[in-house]
Amino acid sequence: MFGYVLPAQKELPQEEQLLFQSAYCGLCHTLKRRYGWLARLHLNYDMAFLAILLRPPCETVTRRCLIHPVKGRACACCGDAFDTAADMSVILLWWKIQDEIADRRFAIVWRILRAAFKRAYRKASALQVDFDTAVARQIRALSALEQANCASLDAPADCFAKILEAAAEQEQNTVRRRILRQELYHLGRWIYLVDAADDLKKDMRRGNYNPLAHRFSPTSGTLSPEDRRALGRTLDASVRQIAAAFELDKPDAYRPVVENVVYEGLYLVGAAVLDGTFHQRVRGKRMKQNGKAGSANG
Amino acid sequence: MADPYKVLGVSPSDSDEVIKKAYRDLARKYHPDHYHDNPLADLAQERMKEINEAYEAIQSLRRGGGSHRTYTGSGAAYGSYSGGPLYRVRLAINQGDLNLAEELLNAQNDRGAEWNFLKGSICVRRGWLDEARRYYQTAVQMDPDNEEYARALDILEGRQGEAYHPQGFRAMTTDGCGADPMSRICGTLLCINCLFGGGGYFFCC
Repeated sequence: MFGYVLPAQKELPQEEQLLFQSAYCGLCHTLKRRYGWLARLHLNYDMAFLAILLRPPCETVTRRCLIHPVKGRACACCGDAFDTAADMSVILLWWKIQDEIADRRFAIVWRILRAAFKRAYRKASALQVDFDTAVARQIRALSALEQANCASLDAPADCFAKILEAAAEQEQNTVRRRILRQELYHLGRWIYLVDAADDLKKDMRRGNYNPLAHRFSPTSGTLSPEDRRALGRTLDASVRQIAAAFELDKPDAYRPVVENVVYEGLYLVGAAVLDGTFHQRVRGKRMKQNGKAGSANG
Repeated sequence: MADPYKVLGVSPSDSDEVIKKAYRDLARKYHPDHYHDNPLADLAQERMKEINEAYEAIQSLRRGGGSHRTYTGSGAAYGSYSGGPLYRVRLAINQGDLNLAEELLNAQNDRGAEWNFLKGSICVRRGWLDEARRYYQTAVQMDPDNEEYARALDILEGRQGEAYHPQGFRAMTTDGCGADPMSRICGTLLCINCLFGGGGYFFCC
């Protein structure tokens, strides 16, 4: 999961793209500072967006890194939100590794990773005790549902939604905490369902659990147009819930970025995942750089 | 009370038209329909009240009184007609006690249209939107003439009025994005993400 929460390109002016990028780079540097370079492997857009939601925004500094060694990039490196998002990122990665080991797929690789991350996880879980407990509880609930081949979309999505929702608990202001809970719950629900749609083919081929395979009746990993519409509808309903909660929050510097994500970005990513073009992004980009139009070989 | 011009995000030198438009936009944004069955409905209602008061204050400042039509919240709470066996369920939902409401519902043997409708509204409040839609659909099928049920389904599916979107954005749905949505997504940041191949996999095996 992770890597789906993206803004739409056209409507986002240069300076706002920079704002999103500075949050992304800020989280990357925070991960390295707190947990070493290996933790950066789990860097992704969704956790950067989580840091944006947790806020408050802060000033940026230009920092260089391996990927941008010469010019460097603007980084939003200060602020508790990034530290918290980095801690949570490590905790989520740890539980993902545990989950993979339990499934006994590529067990040796995951066991090595687990050994490498043990110290980072100890530090992160000591800092975010409640979040760690919540993640562990929800993952147990999720695997019970998987074992039972649960045919509901909402029940397994609820487990993952509650994981993200737990990130809201560190907010001190009670009103803002309520808003964040709602935003994060539905963001988590949306991410879980989009990921399930993205993995449907692979899961069906491998015989893994996927809620869409039980809720709908896909043939060889493809949903019928009618099922796809139903899934799109329930994704839309979650996006509208995120937007409605977001509008109750106090506006700040990150507002245009969040606005872009919740009123356009999520719809586009959802559409791309449902029509199977999401992973052509890198290829499409290269083609454009070569001066060719569009992604012709979709 | 806060500066009414500030509440509406306008300046005292703006024309009546500009103020009216700002008021309308805000009233649409916080309209009760967008917060139907929403756990944050009370916050939206508060915001709506502030906006209405600010608009009325500006109007009376400018014209020295007079009555003006403002948007009023409607249908935020469930009808409280007493009697029926499901009355206590509605009461529990209104008080936000979803566990009690669900317990009461599950104890019922008569699972008619209203039972399905109430089950749906508990699901919406919990965020279980797919099941909510199925319960609402059943309620509407069982009692097609009931406006309350039809309205709840319309709102859940985003059909009630125009879904709110700020200036510069169009009304969107995942299903209606058209061809090649990927070309419109911001992908300029991609760096370490590509090591894991963009979208990844997590607890869902």
